[in-house]
Amino acid sequence: MALMTSQREAKTGPVVAPAYASPPRAELKGLRISFPLPDMSMLEVISGISMSVAEGEFVAVVGPSGSGKSTILRALCGLLKPSGGEVTVDGKPVSGPPPGVGFMFQKDALLPWRTVAGNIRIGAELGSVPADQHEARIASLIKLLRLEGFENAWPRQLSGGMRQRVSLGRLLAYQPSLMLMDEPFGALDYQTKIAMGRELLSVWEAERRSIIFVTHDIEEAVTLADRVVVFSARPARIIADYKVDIPRPRHLRAMRSDPVFTQLTEAIWSDLAMPS
Amino acid sequence: MALTRTPSDAPDTVIRRKSSWSSSAVPAQAALIFVLLLLWELASYYLYNPFWGSRPSMIAERLWELAVSGHLWMHTSTTLQEAGAGLLLAALLGVPAGIGLARAPRLARLLDPVIMGLYGLPRVALAPLFILWFGIGLFSKIMMSFTMVLFIFILNVMEGIRTIDQDQLDLMKSMRAGRLYVVWTVLLPAIVPWILASFRIGVGLALIGAVVGELIGSNRGLGWYVESSGGQLDTTGVFSGLVVLMILAMVANYLIGFIERKIIKWR
Ligand SMILES: Nc1ncnc2c1ncn2[C@@H]1O[C@H](COP(=O)(O)OP(=O)(O)OP(=O)(O)O)[C@@H](O)[C@H]1O
Ligand SMILES: [Mg+2]
Repeated sequence: MALMTSQREAKTGPVVAPAYASPPRAELKGLRISFPLPDMSMLEVISGISMSVAEGEFVAVVGPSGSGKSTILRALCGLLKPSGGEVTVDGKPVSGPPPGVGFMFQKDALLPWRTVAGNIRIGAELGSVPADQHEARIASLIKLLRLEGFENAWPRQLSGGMRQRVSLGRLLAYQPSLMLMDEPFGALDYQTKIAMGRELLSVWEAERRSIIFVTHDIEEAVTLADRVVVFSARPARIIADYKVDIPRPRHLRAMRSDPVFTQLTEAIWSDLAMPS
Repeated sequence: MALTRTPSDAPDTVIRRKSSWSSSAVPAQAALIFVLLLLWELASYYLYNPFWGSRPSMIAERLWELAVSGHLWMHTSTTLQEAGAGLLLAALLGVPAGIGLARAPRLARLLDPVIMGLYGLPRVALAPLFILWFGIGLFSKIMMSFTMVLFIFILNVMEGIRTIDQDQLDLMKSMRAGRLYVVWTVLLPAIVPWILASFRIGVGLALIGAVVGELIGSNRGLGWYVESSGGQLDTTGVFSGLVVLMILAMVANYLIGFIERKIIKWR
């Protein structure tokens, strides 16, 4: 598998190349994470993962359920202490939550006592946006995420997909330079998923943040990302790391008939189907 | 102690009971009370001697006399002051204590047997001691109400904090939110429903505390009026006092329900 990976990485670069020359935005070196089980033994979830995310790079992570994808994101934003290896963000070892790292949880974690606008405002208040621009920022995000008319709705009045969009709004309002996204579009229907993917790409292309995007949807991973990292079942290792050689700007529907796209999704399918 | 509910189901209770005060239910509720009073009135003519159980018309007459003579207000305001001061004092000390214990789990574990022991103690039985320590004035009754309600606040607030979604706290942490910001945006909003639920449960308990204190030793208040009427075999007097106490609890309950609906719009 390692051979195949390097072959793919050797392929000539995409049109919009990430700035590989600059130091990695985030890096994992030999990361190991174990959790204590009730019977005092240790459950090894991550067994030696090394990967890095370049400045402005969009990396998707796919892998079986329970393989430790969420756990890796938690380690990257300092919510969880690894039992071995190194985690660095912007060259500094992570001990607590590093500045400029935004985490969109798998569960939306909206505050039920805050309206849609109020929940998005939390991102703005805690981020680097100057206070006098909060309102404009929130209004533009509400428009971007198609939440107009729901500014003053309570979270309990929203559908699962709308809640996820509010949670994305809060992340974008925070303006992180590294976005950790844990199945952000998991609760969306196909059309909204495509639309949100398009919006995410336009935000990303405009502002060039780094993204680690965890998903179960292989096609989504390939359509959005520069690289797709495939995790094995627990304990997680990286079984493949594909570069997606599809030029940008991408047309999210048309690219599905691109031979590179079909080849890549096929390859990832067979990686995940492999017993490991 | 029949009025105590387990603290853990308190906020649920809040939600479910909300509807019973919604405006559409009021006519039916009033009708039910009227029918019950009518049955009582009829029963006192045909089923039993009103010497033992009085009757609504006699109670109404007595309440009118008490109101005109000013005694009704004197007794009611006394009991209200005692229960109200006890309740507020319990909230003022119980809420910070609950927050503190929730934030210091080790201290909470250390104090757990003591707190549960005091909570389980039939505090009504403390009344004679309190009269002895604090005299027959207002203060001993305030202390009775206070001890009746204090633990409701402590335990409810602790439970409210315990049920805060860890993801919400982690999210705040991931965005490097300061301690005060987290308290203001997550902790306080999360416990407000639990505090209001404590008030709702506490009103009844505070009244019990005040009345029990008055029964044991005092010279005024609704509890004293009930006690002295009972001593004179005046059942109408006993029931008059009880009716006023019941109305107080109902009005307080209604007020808290009203405040709940004004404050907790997000439920
Ligand atoms: N705090 C914890 N304590 C004990 N075990 C944990 C903890 N957090 C995660 N785990 C275990 O670690 C493993 C990986 O969890 P993780 O949430 O990272 O999986 P995932 O890849 O995100 O799965 P999914 O795709 O279903 O979200 C699981 O087996 C889970 O039971
Ligand atoms: Mg997960």
